[in-house]
Amino acid sequence: MTATLFDALLALLLVWLGWRTVVSTNLFNAVVLFVIFGLLMVLCWARLGAPDVALAEAAIGAGLTAALLLEAYRDLTGNDPHHVHDVEDSPLRWPLAALCGLLFLGLVATGWQLAPPTELGETVHARVAESGVENPVTAVLLNFRGYDTLLEVAVLMLALLGVWATNGPHATLGSRQTLDPDSALIDAMVRLLVPMAALVCSYLLWAGAHAPGGAFQAGAVLAGAGVLLHLAERLQPLGTASTSSRALVTVGLFVFVAVACYPLVYGGRLLAYPDGQTKALIFLVEAALTVSIAHSLTLMFSGGRAFQRGRR
Amino acid sequence: MSQLTLYGLAAAALFALGLYGLLAYAHLLRKILAVNVMGNAVFLFLVALGRTDPQQTNPVPHAMVLTGIVITVSATAFALALARRLHREVGAVDLDAQSRRGEALDSTQTEESGKS
Amino acid sequence: MVGPIVTPLLVAPLCLLLPRRGLYPLHLTVSLTGLLAVVALMRAVALEGPLRYAMGGWGAPLGIDLLADGLSLMPLLLTALVMPPLTLYAHDYLDEDGDKQLNFWPLWYLLWCGLNASVLTADIFNVYVTLEVLTLAAVPLVVLSGGVEALRGAIRYLLFALLGSLTYLLGVALLFAAHGTLDMAGLAVRWAGDRLDAVGLALIVVGLLAKGAIFPLHIWLPPAHSAAPAPVSAALSALVVKVAFYLLARLWFWVAEPAAGAGLLLGGLGATAVFYGSLQALRQGRLKLIIAYSTVAQLGYLLLLFPLASGAALTGSLLQMIGHGLAKASLFLAAGNVIHVLGHDRVRDFAGVGRLLPTTWMAVGLSAISLTGLPPSVAFLGKWRLLEASFQQAQWWWVVVLVGGGLLAAAYLFRVLACAFVDDPAYPEVHRLPWSLTWMPLALAALGLLMGLFSAPLEALLLPGSPFAEAP
Repeated sequence: MTATLFDALLALLLVWLGWRTVVSTNLFNAVVLFVIFGLLMVLCWARLGAPDVALAEAAIGAGLTAALLLEAYRDLTGNDPHHVHDVEDSPLRWPLAALCGLLFLGLVATGWQLAPPTELGETVHARVAESGVENPVTAVLLNFRGYDTLLEVAVLMLALLGVWATNGPHATLGSRQTLDPDSALIDAMVRLLVPMAALVCSYLLWAGAHAPGGAFQAGAVLAGAGVLLHLAERLQPLGTASTSSRALVTVGLFVFVAVACYPLVYGGRLLAYPDGQTKALIFLVEAALTVSIAHSLTLMFSGGRAFQRGRR
Repeated sequence: MSQLTLYGLAAAALFALGLYGLLAYAHLLRKILAVNVMGNAVFLFLVALGRTDPQQTNPVPHAMVLTGIVITVSATAFALALARRLHREVGAVDLDAQSRRGEALDSTQTEESGKS
Repeated sequence: MVGPIVTPLLVAPLCLLLPRRGLYPLHLTVSLTGLLAVVALMRAVALEGPLRYAMGGWGAPLGIDLLADGLSLMPLLLTALVMPPLTLYAHDYLDEDGDKQLNFWPLWYLLWCGLNASVLTADIFNVYVTLEVLTLAAVPLVVLSGGVEALRGAIRYLLFALLGSLTYLLGVALLFAAHGTLDMAGLAVRWAGDRLDAVGLALIVVGLLAKGAIFPLHIWLPPAHSAAPAPVSAALSALVVKVAFYLLARLWFWVAEPAAGAGLLLGGLGATAVFYGSLQALRQGRLKLIIAYSTVAQLGYLLLLFPLASGAALTGSLLQMIGHGLAKASLFLAAGNVIHVLGHDRVRDFAGVGRLLPTTWMAVGLSAISLTGLPPSVAFLGKWRLLEASFQQAQWWWVVVLVGGGLLAAAYLFRVLACAFVDDPAYPEVHRLPWSLTWMPLALAALGLLMGLFSAPLEALLLPGSPFAEAP
């Protein structure tokens, strides 16, 4: 009973936050509310028995997205939270609201007595042992449905290419001094948090095989450290891509495709890892992915093509 | 009420809210926030679906949502870069309007430095 | 079978690492191997019937399967035919600007990968991922042309695409909730047609309509396709939007069992698209906008498949898809040539261009034959089959759409052709263009006419596994 009450409260709070995020005319509030929404989602994932998703949401959804949104907020509004008043919204707001309300009712009416079949879940759990890892989510992500993950890595690379294409060679390297990089506080944060992030990243990568964790979560945590270093000016973004940065960005995809194609050599199917080597190959792929993901996400945040050591 | 029902209702509400935000408001940042809310709604629904077996959770929706989260952050990062570039070029934060300076947006406008 | 997907996937990051000059042999290799792979696949399917490929060796529903049958081979063939000329054209068309080139080729190859991946997959969640690959490859390619118009077109495109994806994904979630599987074949077996299935399908359809720029969700297409660089516009109009149509057809007929009224609704949208798009095309002053609105219109013909729902309609819409793809690609490349030489694409200032760029204008003429639906183009065959189907199913009103659309297409294309053939002493001689810019548009347009000769084996491919009772 208490559990249900807790869930009900969580769900209600989630909807309230979502509503406030969408309708808020104070942009800063909207962004912050969205970040809190993301953190609350982490709780939801935990309640729903999805620790892997919770980790990913915390690092990527609530973490990196928040950084990106705040950066964009500052750029787009010049720190004026009521910036929206210069913009004309759609005149159809009330009819749209009514339609969306109807959509909500329609969805509820459709899904009211849902009883999803569970056989797929049971099959996965039954065959996890064949996948080479013990964590069922990693098994699905990197083995059973590894093809999805392969394409997803391509999507990540595409987003980075998109940011590069948009910014051109003159990346957003404009001075963004809201932090005093010489302050002792920043110094302490960097000294403390960056090594910790590296440690957590390594743990998540290693643990992903038998416990919640994996390449995406690890890469995102490392990217968080990268963002911190960038903001503290320990890392300086460059306008031109260096060979090493291009290599780091592509290594994940290359390794994954190479491992995927390896079975083709002896007549197997794509992504059909050979028996006995599965765990090692999955770890290899995840390691390469972690590096690429971390590098790509950090570059996406900074808008640059490569990094060099900062002034400090 | 089962977890599926509770979170399912929340997901439906959030999807409708996000859709409204995307369609009703012109400011690009608000549209992007709305899209993210919609995305989270669908993910919430998917993970809740994995919860129906009393003995173990179905990991397939979890994998789907993980993929979805990465795709969403990729799309968001790109969308934000586009919005910021538009703002740099013509000072606008929405697609159809005049620039904040009240000048007509000219498509043959040369790439002057603009705000950076 | 995985060649067409994996090869571009491997080549794309390579393009990020190699210098531009080293890329040309890569383009040729991928183009050639891609075409050969598709032809080999077609022969295999013709001999053995529809083929399934279990990724990772697991097999659905645990793993993801690929499916190659007549329906999926059509867009696959179209891609294999259109992308190589576009690739060669793009190599010469793009500015020497090293930065643009660096970004362009990885995006281009990942687009190619997405095109192939999305039509071969048999898993509805995998479709979502491939659609995102397509979107996130296509939108940056639009942006690369530089300029505010391209930027705005790209943003609108991205927002519509995200709306479409998330709506699609919600539909997938509902179907997963109903049946517990993501595999298309598994869903087909378990399909119950109850409210959950219907709403799930409806959401999926709306999502795909947004992706395919079907009226009234077409608003993003003209600005995006007209502002993009010429080879990108060609790829978008000829290939990317067709993926949405393919998926609609696949899910509508092979997986679900929708009510007849729903088909009529889609057909109605298609008819509206044909007339609306054609009328808008008549009003435009810029060539690329005319071509873009023409795409909106021509996509409408494809939707006639849904109310007609027969073997003839299936053949007709697929042949029309191929014919339109070839002609539209050719037209956009021709427009690219014009812009390259004149610096603008205002039709009323085209006087004398016919003499300036004769091969280009010949290509425009041949494409016009295809788009108007005249023999011997394969698009003519497509429309012919659709007319047949209209009569067979006793739905005569679609004839008005088919004929009317053809007349309107003739009108807006004739306008373009006529302007160019006005003699103007300002352009006394032929302008020399690089080899690929001169010949690729003509090659594509000619192919649109020649493909008519190959329609019989294509029709035969559609027969096995077809959900329709009678022969195509």
